[in-house]
Amino acid sequence: MSEIGRVTLSGIVKRHGTFTALHGIDLEIAPGEFFVLLGPSGSGKTTTLRILAGLEPHDAGRVLQDGVDVTERAPGERDVAMVFQSYALYPHMTVHENIAFPLRMVGTAATEIENAVRDAAAKVHIEHLLDRRPGQLSGGQQQRCALARAIVRKPRLFLLDEPLSNLDAKLRVETRVELRKLQRALNVTTVYVTHDQEEAMTLADRIAVFMDGRIAQVGRPADIYSRPASVVVAGFIGSPPMNLLPAEVRGSALVVAGVTVPLGRDAGPAGPVTLGLRPGAIKIAASGIPARIYLVEDLGDATILDLHVGDKLIKMRTGQRPDVREGDEIKLAFAAEAVHLFDPASGLRKAP
Amino acid sequence: MKGRAARHLALFAAAGLLLAVWAFPIVWGLLTSLKTERDVLAYPPKVIFEPTLANYREVLFGASSILPNLASSAIVAGFATLLTMLLAVPAAYALARLEFPAKRTSGFYVLATQMLPPVGLIIPYYLVLQRIGGLDTYAGLTAIYLTFSLPFAIWLMVSYFEDIPREMEEAALLDRAGRLRSLWYVILPQVRGGIAVTTIFVFLNAWNEFLFAVVLGGNRVRPVTVAMFNFISVEQTQWARLAAAAMLAMAPVILLGLIAQKHIVKGLTVGAVKGGGRR
Repeated sequence: MSEIGRVTLSGIVKRHGTFTALHGIDLEIAPGEFFVLLGPSGSGKTTTLRILAGLEPHDAGRVLQDGVDVTERAPGERDVAMVFQSYALYPHMTVHENIAFPLRMVGTAATEIENAVRDAAAKVHIEHLLDRRPGQLSGGQQQRCALARAIVRKPRLFLLDEPLSNLDAKLRVETRVELRKLQRALNVTTVYVTHDQEEAMTLADRIAVFMDGRIAQVGRPADIYSRPASVVVAGFIGSPPMNLLPAEVRGSALVVAGVTVPLGRDAGPAGPVTLGLRPGAIKIAASGIPARIYLVEDLGDATILDLHVGDKLIKMRTGQRPDVREGDEIKLAFAAEAVHLFDPASGLRKAP
Repeated sequence: MKGRAARHLALFAAAGLLLAVWAFPIVWGLLTSLKTERDVLAYPPKVIFEPTLANYREVLFGASSILPNLASSAIVAGFATLLTMLLAVPAAYALARLEFPAKRTSGFYVLATQMLPPVGLIIPYYLVLQRIGGLDTYAGLTAIYLTFSLPFAIWLMVSYFEDIPREMEEAALLDRAGRLRSLWYVILPQVRGGIAVTTIFVFLNAWNEFLFAVVLGGNRVRPVTVAMFNFISVEQTQWARLAAAAMLAMAPVILLGLIAQKHIVKGLTVGAVKGGGRR
């Protein structure tokens, strides 16, 4: 990993009038890291990215790059490049001129610009489109052009604001892979905003999950998936996300919908808890928690069953095509190690 | 199929009728400008007559030549347009994009100046110009033209600037262009259609202006609109010469309109469809 590109946010607060958009954001991003800001819309992730870029003023807190305070610096003085959700390509310039623009602005020599533009265009496979204008490009090509404009001047920090959200599903998955490869090859610290948890899981070295202007959890994708810090994170990560059911701890067993399920381990002090179960961790069994099938979603390689447990609607995912129909009464079971327990009052994870 | 043909026919008929109504005064003026004074007054009006260019010769090179007046118009309208655009473009950009104190108030003020009836302003303008010796001077009349063309141009340009996505400019800022270079390299090229339209409208307004010119001008500064009025006197109206002068005065305006036709049509529909006004 390279030495430059460390980013530190400390105590970032952003208010819009009486509404507080960010309640003190603290983040430490390591050099070369692919760091994803993940969260639903309105959670503050894009605002955080824009503050990092210097495009948005904030009310308190500091932004540091490699230990240097850049809070007061203008966007152009921060050595960051950004890919916007709308790409923001300059429509009156050719692809070549678009990519060359950041270099022209710092007075790079013409021959050097030429080489750098060819190089950047080759990296994103648009060498053959250099003479076109953005209006003559497809969405995917525009996205690549925006990417080339960002990488051409080898910045210290890449910022990407939902760069794949305007592409169709197939192209999005392909570009995701390329983006990951490109970032690895360039080894530039990257901060990437998305609301798509699958995108976050596949791309990120680490993820910060944003909820209502706060960071709910920071960690590696696998950690966030396997040990969500709270019910809000649990309910956001996974496709479909984790099911949450009210339950009660009794000794080393759990009571769910009136059925006692032994856990085989100490589940902490007796009392109410919120039980979290991944859709894939639930199985149909001969005995267990009673449920009624509300909807059968056949995905081809898997089936998702929407189930009523009491008055709660949960989802279960299975690789087989179970022989069940809507309205059927079934019984559910789950392995003890698949259980996540959360405090029902605070929503926070209980050990382990 | 038959119904469609009939619909087309009705459409063409309606369009033809509208065109006839619109074009009649201009065609009539053109015909009149080619007649002798005698033919003009003939009753019933002559449709077939021997055309003559004598009127044009007279108004161009005769005793009452309007050439100096055309020059006068060109100077006033030209300078008014140039100054208006030089000031309006940055002002409109500021109103559309920058945050500064009293932005809303100044935006409203710009619009409010357009609501005053020009007639009500003539006397104060006259008095002010008289005090500072600006009556019958190019500087004086140009300055007065700025008072209405500038707000109009700012108001029109703001909508063009607002049409450009903010992200475009933010991208330029991140590309280290700074505020001025991002305006020059990224924003202005995208509003050049708007600049063309605004320039033409401002020029037209100044070129066609009569009321201020007749009151605040004089013997030195007499635009062609005022000069044309001289063909109408108490004793008689020189219809043929008036028509010839009108045709000549109209020519540059029509020429300009033809050149910028594409931009004008786009300009009139700005904001109709999101992003439709650009590119």
